[in-house]
Amino acid sequence: MLEYKTTPPRDLSMPRKRLLLLVDDETSILQTLRMVFENEGYQVLTAQSCAEALHLLDNGHKFDAVITDLNMEREDIGLEVARAAQRVKPRPAIVIYTGFASIPNSRAALDMGVDYMAHKPVEISELISALNRLISKRAVERFR
Amino acid sequence: MAKAASVKAPRLALVVHSDVGVLSSFQSALTEKGFVTIVARDLPTALLAITQHYFEVAVVSSRLGEGGDGWPLAGVLHLVFPKAFVAVISPDEPDVLVLQAAINYGAREVFDLSRPAAEVVGSILAQLEIAGNRAASKSSVQ
Repeated sequence: MLEYKTTPPRDLSMPRKRLLLLVDDETSILQTLRMVFENEGYQVLTAQSCAEALHLLDNGHKFDAVITDLNMEREDIGLEVARAAQRVKPRPAIVIYTGFASIPNSRAALDMGVDYMAHKPVEISELISALNRLISKRAVERFR
Repeated sequence: MAKAASVKAPRLALVVHSDVGVLSSFQSALTEKGFVTIVARDLPTALLAITQHYFEVAVVSSRLGEGGDGWPLAGVLHLVFPKAFVAVISPDEPDVLVLQAAINYGAREVFDLSRPAAEVVGSILAQLEIAGNRAASKSSVQ
């Protein structure tokens, strides 16, 4: 008897969950933010270093947004995550948060076209609302 | 057979500042570079202009009526004209909070008010040209 293998039809009524990459070298922050954003309906992948984040960004994931700490393995290395995220097509929304904002790193983020910068302590509700706005804006721009 | 003459739409710029002197200097600098410049001294006039024109460049003071009220206008311009170059003029040398506001409101650049208008316009146009060349090279690769 022949056996046919078929792929199950995709449920078009279920929209894809928004995919988010969270990057921070502090496990507790990463876990807290993961919980917060999963509660908001996001699918979350995490990276504990810039290197790990670059690997995920190069792996064909279609991230809707990337949220990264600025200082990890070394100072301002989050800018490298942002730079790599900018090369991904379609470009995800890029958010940086830091407790060590300076004129040079803020200037670099502005010049690079980072979409949002939060200073620690991060106001979670503001971060969520900024992220939702940025992702919706991108979706609208793609249809224009 | 007569060929239809190609009509190039004018490049439009919006300048919003409460000081007429500043408006005038930016208007001259932009006009010299071929822009048709609309000026507004306050928020309602700026909003009216946004409903009536399609801007390629906008230069907005971070302070219109009171400190910081120009930022939301920059944010609106960024949302309405996502491809426009929105620059903000800050009364002082930009510090960390001003740079943060520029990022979060979608401004592409923030300039200190002490910089001459011609220099600011030159910098904006240079950045627009770089962005244009980048887009052109991307489309030629694809």
